Order: sequence, then structure tokens, then C-alpha cells
Amino acid sequence: MERTVTVVPEDGLHARPASKFVETANEYDSEITVAANGDEPVNAASMLAVTGLGVKSGEDVVLAADGPDEEAAIDALEDVLTTPEDEYE
Amino acid sequence: MSETLDGVGVTPLSGLGNARWYRPGEHPDPEDVTAADPETERERFDEARATAREELETERERTAERVGEEEAAVFDAHLQFLDDPQITDGVEDAIDDGAAAEAGVARSFDAAIEQFEGMEGMMAERADDMRDIRDRLLRILSGGERIDLAELPEGTVLLAERLTPSDTAQLDPERVAGFATMTGGRTSHAAIFARSLGIPAVVGVGDALAEIEEGADVAVDAENDAVIVDPDEETRERVATEREVDVRAERVETADGREVEVAANLGTSAELEGADAQGADGVGLYRTEFLFLDRESPPDEDEQVETYAEALDAFPEGRVVVRTLDVGGDKPVPYLDLPEEENPFLGNRGIRRSLGDDGDLFETQLRALLRAAAEGAGTLSVMFPLVATVEELDAALERVDEIASDLDEAGVDYAVPELGVMVETPAAALMADEFAARVDFLSIGTNDLAQYVMAAARENDAVAHLHDPRHPPVLRAIDRAVEAAHDNDAWIGMCGEMAGDPELTELLVGLGLDELSMSAVTIPDVKAQVEEIDTADARDVADRALAASTKGDVRRILDQES
Repeated sequence: MERTVTVVPEDGLHARPASKFVETANEYDSEITVAANGDEPVNAASMLAVTGLGVKSGEDVVLAADGPDEEAAIDALEDVLTTPEDEYE
Repeated sequence: MSETLDGVGVTPLSGLGNARWYRPGEHPDPEDVTAADPETERERFDEARATAREELETERERTAERVGEEEAAVFDAHLQFLDDPQITDGVEDAIDDGAAAEAGVARSFDAAIEQFEGMEGMMAERADDMRDIRDRLLRILSGGERIDLAELPEGTVLLAERLTPSDTAQLDPERVAGFATMTGGRTSHAAIFARSLGIPAVVGVGDALAEIEEGADVAVDAENDAVIVDPDEETRERVATEREVDVRAERVETADGREVEVAANLGTSAELEGADAQGADGVGLYRTEFLFLDRESPPDEDEQVETYAEALDAFPEGRVVVRTLDVGGDKPVPYLDLPEEENPFLGNRGIRRSLGDDGDLFETQLRALLRAAAEGAGTLSVMFPLVATVEELDAALERVDEIASDLDEAGVDYAVPELGVMVETPAAALMADEFAARVDFLSIGTNDLAQYVMAAARENDAVAHLHDPRHPPVLRAIDRAVEAAHDNDAWIGMCGEMAGDPELTELLVGLGLDELSMSAVTIPDVKAQVEEIDTADARDVADRALAASTKGDVRRILDQES
């Protein structure tokens, strides 16, 4: 399944939001990818790939997951991307 | 036949020993390795990763112990990349296509490095981290010997193209006679660590260093900015004689009784002990960047309180001058996403960021400082970097007031520290009277002041001759600031490299500085100098230097005195 999400945290997909995103992606068994600006989707469980996208706050990304827990994974990742950084645990 | 190579000495120390090359990036060409079957190559890759992980964990622990958690954080980033699926998938794909593990590692990392090199600021820094991990894996795969920097044989002079701060942190001052590198400058992190650890070091020697052979007899004469191969008997004796310097634990005064405070510049808790051992009266520049660098998120308020209080407790009778966060285009901080600037030294840095983009960080830091002022034993002073306008200073002072009221309302223990301004811009030197009227003290950062007064970048070798505090315009800027401070009942110190040069102590005392702050290792020399000085003679030297028209004239005036 796929879902388009607008990135909220001020840093975009860098620094803490990126670590949080990658950490979350690693918690699920499904294959998860994230794509930005119409580029090739990349592995959501890779800090390198995710920070390499260069996504800034306010930009859209496309999340795609395939596997037994795909829906939960996408929900959790959407949650990370739509939470302002200062509200992290 | 002895041969002398010129570099930049970063410690006033010298050492003699056997050359040992450290070449973490050397390995056979990965594409030349013949692959066995994919399964064997995959096993080789997994084993190399396991070895790399062990090495990194050992180094991380050692760095945390010897230098501090902040510096150790760089290893966390390395460990993370080691297991990154983008990298590992890339390696495994290459192996499936028939590549050897070496070629797989090289291709996969190189693709990632290329991707990051094209990016901005901190991402480009990451490319360096990835190069380090790539080279580590390739060395392990080729069965290359790992030089454990903590276990070098006694009397080693380490030679390298460059040393990272974490490399330097591994060195054991008891065993290492010194090190020399091709790249780097006086203010690089490796140089700063060498000074903290008291290791003789000459950096920026250039390609000539590569001609020194493994095992050669080498003297590192950092006092004279030189590396000497096969030194003659006379040089050996000069270098090998441990300089006898008496550490003066007590405060010193000039021969005619004027007290001059001699303090240490540092950036981590690990350096406090060394500063105390060299007889520092206190800390004249606590660089807080190190608390913020090499980590994924900023230190929180409590962590900062602990760090500042620790420094105050180390000098219960003294003063600790903390500089608020001073970052900009030339000091990458991962979570700040600093923009690449056309001209970082003239860009958004120091107080400009604290009052703008980094307002939240600034507020947290000030809260931590006010709390630490009440908690720690010594006297806390706080100064703001790169102030150019009175408006900036007023805004910063207003922040302090607001935070004090907040803490008051919350019933939290706090104290308002002494407040000061760094004189680093010509603007601050010209407006020093206005600044001094508003704060308790001024502190002159001569590295930046010389850079801006002379319009000559610190990092640019081509204009290094201009970047020298002996130029009369720099001396006149200093003089103006000192006079403005004293006219307005403020004390004034100096915390640039100039303060730690014993040849300039008389001049600086003559100019009227109340405090000199420097790398710990130069404190005993400067304290010894202070005790020899007669204030009236020193004033005379300063007057003549201020009247000189050229740097050459200033040098001649100083030479007559020594």
C-alpha cells in the first residue's frame, strides 16, 4: 500500500526526525520504501538513504509498504513525519 | 645528513623518536582482488563487519573515557553506517554479480560518498565518516595490520596525512614522543587535543612529510615549527632535554606587584585536570561547541548544567568564562542543518545565530548557565561571541533577564553570572566603550580579531603573513578595547593564541590586559614571564609598538626586549 505524507518537523528528514523515522521503519517486518520529488523510492530502514533524499519541512513524500504489517508500519511512519520535533518523547 | 621540514607547531614542546606511519586509508586496489564464490565473499564481508564493530566499540569507549562523551559520539555514527541496509544491500548485490567483498565494499560506499558529497554542510561531513569506515573495512579484508594508536611502542613519532580528533584522543602521551601531519592548522581539533594531552605536534607539513621513511630518527620540534629527520647531536640534545618549567599553582604578579590572571582555554571536561596541573588560575575561554558537535541532537539543559558546574568545581577559587554557542558555516553541527555560505566567516555565526535561528538552543544554554552559577563552586562569567552591534548585546542581555525571571517564578535556584562581550570584530573594538559600559568584562579573541582587522582568512596559507597579531592595526584595536574597558570599570582579558605566546607577554601586560587565557601547556611559561615584568617598562614597550608603522618594526621592538 502507498500513502503520501507532508513532512512537518522543522529539520525535514534529517537529524532527529530521520533517526526516529529509520528506527520506526526497522520495527516492522514489511518492506518499506520512501520516495521524494518523484525520485526512485529508497529503503526506509536506511539512515543513509533517508537522509540522502534531502527532504525539507513542508515537502511531500510517498511511503510504500509491502508485507504482513504494512498498514501499521505506514500509520506509525506517518505519525513520525507529522509530529513536530519538540513533541518527541 | 639531517633535514628540516617546516610546519606549524601546535604545542611549545619537543620530542625525539622513531617514525611510524599511520595510513588508515591504504589498502590494495579492491578491484584487483579475485573473487571466490559469492557465499565465501559474503562470509568474508560479514566477518570484516564484525571485526570493524569490535574495533569501533573499543575506540568509542576509550575516547569517551579520555576525552568525553561528545567526542565519542562520532563512533556511534560510524557504527550506524556499518549496518546501514543501503550499504549492506549494495555490497551483497555486487557480490551476487561476482565481485569480491573488497570491490563490493568499495563500490557500495563510493556510491554513498558521491551522493553525500554533492550535498550541503553536515551531509558533506558524513562523506568523510563514510570514507573512514570504507577504509577500515578494506584494511580488515586485506589482512592489513591495524595500528592501535593507544598501544604504540614507547618513543614513537607518529606520522600521518591527517589525524581525526578521535585518532588523536587514542594517543597515550606517555608513549608517543610526538606526531606530525601533512594537513591541519593551529586551530584544528587534532591540534587542540594535542595541546590538551601535552603531546609535541607539528601539523601542516605538506607532502614533504611523505618522504620520511618508516623507522627514521625524527625530532618533532614544535617550538620552532619544524620536523627534523636524522637530527645532529646538538639538535638531539636540545630536543631531548625536558624543558624545566616550574608550575606555579598560585596567582602571579609582576615584579612591581600588579596581578595578572593566567587562565586556560578549553572545550571539554576532560581538559580541566590538565589545566589545573599546569597551574591555571581558572578558565578564560570555555568553548561550548564541543558539547554540541559530533552528536545527533543538542545536549539538554541538565546535561549542560552538569558540565558547567563541573568546570566551576574544578576551580573553586577561580573564574570560569564560558562562551555561549559559537557555530556557523565553518563548524558543522548535524542537527542544525547549517546552510553552506558563500563566506562563512562573514556570515551567520556566533551571537547572530543565537539571537536568530538558534534562539531555542541559546535559551536552554542560558538557563543551564544561570542554574550552574548557583550550583558550582567557582565564579561563573558568560560571554557572547562575534558581537558587532549594541543592539545585539542589548538583546542578549534582555534574554538573560527574561530567563532569570522565569527561573525565579519557577522557584529554581539560579544566580546571574558576570556578563561580557568578546571583542572579535573591528566593530566591537571601535565600540568597546559602549559595550564596556553595559557589561562586567570584555575578552579579546585575537584569532578572529586579526582575521577581520587584516581581512585575511585564518585558514588561508597564502595570506598567513597578514594574519598576525603583531601588525600595528591589530595592536591599536587591542589598545582601544583595553582603554575603553578600564574607563568603564570593566576588566579585560585575551583568549586568542596571542595570549599564550611568552614572547608577547610583556607587550600584553604593557597594553594593560588583566587576564590572559591560553592552551594549558603554555601557562607555566607565561606565568614565569609575568613575574619578570616591570609594569613601567612594559608600558614603554607597548607605547613603542603602538607607534610602529610595520609588523617588522614591532618585531624589532620585541626582539630588543628579549
